[in-house]
Amino acid sequence: MFDTVEAFYRPGTVGEALRLLQSGKGRARVVAGGTDLVVEADRSIRFLIDITHAGLSYVRRRGNACVVGATTTMAALESSPAIRALASGILAQAASNCGSVQIRNMATLGGNLANGSPAADTATPLLALDAEVVLADARGRRKIPLPAFYSGQRKTASSKVLLVEIVIPAPPRGGRWSFQKLGRTESDISLVNAAAGLQLDSQGRVKWARIALGAVAPTPIRAVNAENLLVGRKADKAALAAACDEVAREVKPITDVRASAEYRREMSRVLARRALEECAALTGCSL
Amino acid sequence: MKTMEVRLNVNGEPKHWIIAPGDLLLDVLRREGYFGVKRGCESGECGACTVLVDGKPINSCLMFAAKAEGADVLTIEGLARGGVLHPIQEAFLDHGAAQCGFCTPGMILNAKALLDRKPNPTEEEVREVLAGTLCRCTGYRKPVEAVLAAAGRAGRKPAPREATR
Amino acid sequence: MNSQRNVVGKNVWKVDGVKLVTGGPSFTDDIHLPGMLYGKILPSPYAHARIKRIDTRKAKALAGVHAVLTYKDVPRVPHTTAGQAWPEPSPYDTYLLDSKVRFVGDRVAAVAAESRAIAEKALRLIEVEYEVLPAVLDMEQAMAPGAAVIHDEPDSKGIHDAARNIAGYILREIGNVEEGFRESDRIYEREYRTQRQQHCILEPHVTISWLDADGRLVIRSSTQVPYHSRRQVAMILQIPVSRIHVIKPRIGGGFGGKQEMLLEDICGALALAARRPVKIEYTRQEEFYMARTRHPQILKMKIGVKRDGTIVASQLTVLATTGAYGSHSTTVQGNTGSKVLPLYRAPHMRFECHVVYTNAPVAGAFRGYGCPQGFFAQETLVDEIAYDLGMDPVEFHRQNVIRLGDMDLLSAQLGEGKEGLPRHIRSCGLPECLDRGAAAIDWARKRKASGPEGTPPASHLKRGVGMACTMQGSGIAGIDWASAFLKMNEDGSFFLQVGASDVGGGADTVLAQIAAETLGVSLDKIVITSGDTDTTPFDVGAYASSTTIISGGAVKKAAEKVREQVLRMAARMLDTSPDKLACGDNQVSTIGESTRSVTMTQIALHSMYKEKTQIMDGASHFNTDSPPPFCATFAEVEVDTQTGRIRVPHLVTAVDPGTAINPMQAEGQVEGAVTQGLGYALTEELVLDDAGRPVNPNFLDYKIFGAKDMPKLTTILVQTDEPLGPYGAKSISEVPINGPAPAIANAIFHAIGVRFRKLPIRPEDVLRALREKETATDDQCL
Repeated sequence: MFDTVEAFYRPGTVGEALRLLQSGKGRARVVAGGTDLVVEADRSIRFLIDITHAGLSYVRRRGNACVVGATTTMAALESSPAIRALASGILAQAASNCGSVQIRNMATLGGNLANGSPAADTATPLLALDAEVVLADARGRRKIPLPAFYSGQRKTASSKVLLVEIVIPAPPRGGRWSFQKLGRTESDISLVNAAAGLQLDSQGRVKWARIALGAVAPTPIRAVNAENLLVGRKADKAALAAACDEVAREVKPITDVRASAEYRREMSRVLARRALEECAALTGCSL
Repeated sequence: MKTMEVRLNVNGEPKHWIIAPGDLLLDVLRREGYFGVKRGCESGECGACTVLVDGKPINSCLMFAAKAEGADVLTIEGLARGGVLHPIQEAFLDHGAAQCGFCTPGMILNAKALLDRKPNPTEEEVREVLAGTLCRCTGYRKPVEAVLAAAGRAGRKPAPREATR
Repeated sequence: MNSQRNVVGKNVWKVDGVKLVTGGPSFTDDIHLPGMLYGKILPSPYAHARIKRIDTRKAKALAGVHAVLTYKDVPRVPHTTAGQAWPEPSPYDTYLLDSKVRFVGDRVAAVAAESRAIAEKALRLIEVEYEVLPAVLDMEQAMAPGAAVIHDEPDSKGIHDAARNIAGYILREIGNVEEGFRESDRIYEREYRTQRQQHCILEPHVTISWLDADGRLVIRSSTQVPYHSRRQVAMILQIPVSRIHVIKPRIGGGFGGKQEMLLEDICGALALAARRPVKIEYTRQEEFYMARTRHPQILKMKIGVKRDGTIVASQLTVLATTGAYGSHSTTVQGNTGSKVLPLYRAPHMRFECHVVYTNAPVAGAFRGYGCPQGFFAQETLVDEIAYDLGMDPVEFHRQNVIRLGDMDLLSAQLGEGKEGLPRHIRSCGLPECLDRGAAAIDWARKRKASGPEGTPPASHLKRGVGMACTMQGSGIAGIDWASAFLKMNEDGSFFLQVGASDVGGGADTVLAQIAAETLGVSLDKIVITSGDTDTTPFDVGAYASSTTIISGGAVKKAAEKVREQVLRMAARMLDTSPDKLACGDNQVSTIGESTRSVTMTQIALHSMYKEKTQIMDGASHFNTDSPPPFCATFAEVEVDTQTGRIRVPHLVTAVDPGTAINPMQAEGQVEGAVTQGLGYALTEELVLDDAGRPVNPNFLDYKIFGAKDMPKLTTILVQTDEPLGPYGAKSISEVPINGPAPAIANAIFHAIGVRFRKLPIRPEDVLRALREKETATDDQCL
């Protein structure tokens, strides 16, 4: 119920949006799709700033990177040819898992990240792909890596900062990627999700590996120890098993009504394994 | 109480609403007499409030009415033209896909949006869109059959029926 | 009259179908009433507390608030909210508003205000001081000495033993089970646990109440039981029944959750206090914990068999909790015994049950009404027995299930809270259900191919098939009754008025079909009005699978009486005798050669304007028996042994509903019921924390099956001819819900060799069980 909201703005530029945010003195909130904000029903909000008309809905190339405007919807992402072609389509796949058709027509990539949930399906592939986010405030724009955005979440309290763009550097050619999600039913918030990327050399040894997981720590995380364990090793069953055992050690899941920590830990191992196996299969390597 | 104006089209008719800034589209539509838009959960989970905004299905319980400025909104009331049922509506009746009918408007609109962009969907694609509407009555089987039948891929021909009007 | 049917047995469009697919305003909330206020209930934050002080002055002073009620403002009348025939067998332990609260969500106060926002603000302004009491949340502790007494008030009635928190107690026996167990070659005893399932009705409970121009209290409500609600509101608000008008519009689902007088009393009280229309509509969250749930149970089942698999004795001991109030407490649990044990022809049966109070959300009626719990226990135990004896479960069932011509004596002891009536099985399609269901799932081949021996060892996906048989009732013998009234119009059409409550399953359509068939007219000549206490005659309401057989029986009787009037009128017009005439095709014709006829329209005009008489009549109906529908459920499962996830690729349900008046609607009932059964088996549970607060009162974390979760559904109608039902009909709406949980549990055993005796069967549980099985095997090897 938003009966205490006094005004609803639809700024046409980022600059205007920032000015409105500033003048709201902490009682203004940015809304894009609204799919998280409306459910939260924060009664302290007095001003709503709809930024979906501020020119932030796009998918473009910029140099070697793919840049996505913050108010690009999940539906737009899952159907964008550029996103579908990017990194074996893991971001498109993650977007297509973000709720029902109706939700995906409204929910935005920026909103998914700014909400800060470690279960956000798009955050995991973005983390695996070394994505950066562009923040805009009164002083201008700056680009920070996604992990920095997450660790800064609580501190910045973002009442004067706007997430405007997500930058995805071109993944190395020869890399293959996979996204895996586990829910209680087919349409569910993630109990665990995983995004992996792998590149093998001509002898089938791992050149590099990326393993990111969501919903198993306070933020989405990279299983860096597991990644390092794989580098230089032949991509076989034993190597994958060892790496996934390490994944299970690196995650910090909680117990809630959806699943126990123990189950999430075990599923981290299973999903990481399935993701890596799919990457290997995509490179044509049989395990 | 603060108010603002919203101008939009609903079912092809221009509308000029006076709303509170925080009003949600579901509440305004029902207030304006579009009772076919249902309130089931108010959190975007059940899909009973689904309407089409510029051709796209959305949960009206999650959309601020102010966001509908300049948009074309289609509710279930706008689907049948001059008393003639849309093929999806007919198919729902032919296949017994509506039981209590509460989730039916949301399902039909979602199906219409699908068939508009994909006239020949697979069963999987139909289930993907119907997954956005929870139904406690039908088990989804007959609604899926009805949508496929409306798309011209009749799974099963229903027996000839008695006129009911 | 030929035996070919013209309307009954046809897949006609639902008579309200066009309205539903076009979104026409027809549900409770689809009206604007000038001056309508929003009502809201203040829920208790504590599971068990006394209200020491409650101050509503600030709330009353808030602009836009028109009424604020606490226990001090309303009459104190003990009652039950259960929608049951009077005198209700449920304890009278509930009060409109009370000075004690007994579960998180219990009523503390209620307000009516000009907007939802003002109503919510008013609730926040009500000052309440609670004396928090120890809460009883574990049903196994409810009867323990020293447990807090939940119903310590002196004026409640009908509680079996309030001091020990026992709402109800049942003990029934036929034969002598101890003797039966002595005669048995093998005895099996197991314990089962079932969870708190919530209805998740898409249309939340909603009631609008106002005073009409005559000062009568009108209640427009989403209810399965308009007549019971009227009677109960009259008693609670101390108004004569004749001064209350209950209207049941289109209902967006009920499933037993609306077999309850839930909001009507408080809404009426607010309307009287405010002297303006008041609407109370539950939010989804309130639906989850302030409405009703299924009764959680702990079941101990013991079965004795002969070596050849014949069941000799069966004993079921149940501990159930009804939550904070005893709505449906003995009757649901009574069913767990009376509908479950007699599926088998054991000469010795014993059923004992304690139903206890806990400080938890209130349990009530929910499709299946005690049977899902009981059949889960019985059908999984029977599967274990068959396996142990090396018998195919289907053969085990064939050998033991009740047969055509049998009599079920346990029902004689377990009616709706009192002595029941024995059941004669006059129609039984169960053998054919078994045959056709087994064939549809390819039982023989899959039993061999799947299972621990059959699956390719490399795959982490294990498949299995399992089955279960279940039955239900069709109306409550000697208690459920209905009436119907028909009158003829100038155009040869008939208005059919029934008290029956179509809650979405198509009752209006089925009843109209029965009337049309009997009168020999086409369906469009029947216009049906239902569920309005001013304009339709009495009906107990939509529950106990009674509508087709009991309300339909009344419709058939009324239509037969009206047909007699029509024939006599036609006979006078054609100068012949009624026995030489027949109805059909919207006319009355002479039987035999040289046919002469008059149309229904001509008859109507003649009767109205020549003879000056209205062709009309009504009838009431009840049965003294409750013929069971039968069901055989077959499930194929696929277990992902890495994640523990259970997928159900195929679910086959073969049902004997008697005659299916509308086969398409009947199939729809099956498909909806099994979907609820699938959730019951695998995903649904309303979880409470250790303070009794609901943890997952929303669709995000209370998971019901969606369109992508569904198995392939095969629905088989095995039609029989039941002498007690109109055109041979029994019922179908509940029985299929009982099958999925045991069939799936049995299929899981076939797939991975693990028995689950607790619902829901979650992936974590499967994974844990697989690990334990692995370790156990290792231990044995050492």
